[in-house]
Amino acid sequence: MHIPDGFLDLSVAAVFYIMTAIVVGFSFIKARNELQERKAPVVGMVAAAIFAAQMLNWPIPGGTSAHFVGGSLAGIILGPYAGCIAMTSVLLIQTLVFADGGITALGANIWNMGVVNVFAGYYIYRLLSRRGIFLSSAVAGWAGITLAAIFAGIEIGISSSFQYSLMVTVPVMGVWHALLGIVEGFITAGVVSYIASSRPDILEFTAKEVA
Amino acid sequence: MTEFSRKFLIFLFLLLVLSPIFAYAAEIVGYSEPLENVAEMLGVEENQEYEGLLPDYSVPGLDMFSGTFISGVVGSLIVLGMAYGLAKVASRRGDDRGH
Repeated sequence: MHIPDGFLDLSVAAVFYIMTAIVVGFSFIKARNELQERKAPVVGMVAAAIFAAQMLNWPIPGGTSAHFVGGSLAGIILGPYAGCIAMTSVLLIQTLVFADGGITALGANIWNMGVVNVFAGYYIYRLLSRRGIFLSSAVAGWAGITLAAIFAGIEIGISSSFQYSLMVTVPVMGVWHALLGIVEGFITAGVVSYIASSRPDILEFTAKEVA
Repeated sequence: MTEFSRKFLIFLFLLLVLSPIFAYAAEIVGYSEPLENVAEMLGVEENQEYEGLLPDYSVPGLDMFSGTFISGVVGSLIVLGMAYGLAKVASRRGDDRGH
């Protein structure tokens, strides 16, 4: 759901650049509480793995598909502020090196996948943590990407090139990604469960294991 | 190297090896994302002049398989370095207080 150049009105792009800059700046300051210096390599690892995982476009017959985004996963493993830093790195490099996502749309893309997806995913995981690691991270992965898609739908839907068709863009983005997001949920839950069982010290917050 | 870093590198390498296969499969099924579909529905065309150094995860002049793989390796290394560097700087901020 990387928005290319030409989709967003410049005013919309500018608003999201500003909002994103504020949250990313704030995250950079707050991340200090989440990160002891020894954890910095884990932030790099999570970001690199998410970058690589995003290259794997799911080959679903019929064609309409997506790839893993990983905002919720980053938030759950690293905490929301460090997770935001990891996702910002991924999106910045995707845009600048690979032209995946437009330069004008970078603020919006980071907002969707590096802010909304990360923070919503993290807090949903925390909220549901009493239900166990797998369920809470699965729902977080699913809801995080769905919310990110709804935001993308709003951003293009309030832009003139999409003729302000919010009533089309939001349902199309939201419904499709709610369906495809089930895969995101399962991957998120699988990875979080694995880390929780093998290296729980890496997780920012470990949900209760239900027997 | 710690056990965790070793496992991570194997996992990353696995993803990168898979990436050309997935790129090929995506081409066969006619991969398109909901965002592209809704743009097509409403007749919107992207207007992206900037191509990047490795446009769309390819290396100009190289075949799709090696181009995708090299793009993946280069991209993950840059992302790794950048996220690590930012996290290191963020974690150190204000550390010299009281020294």
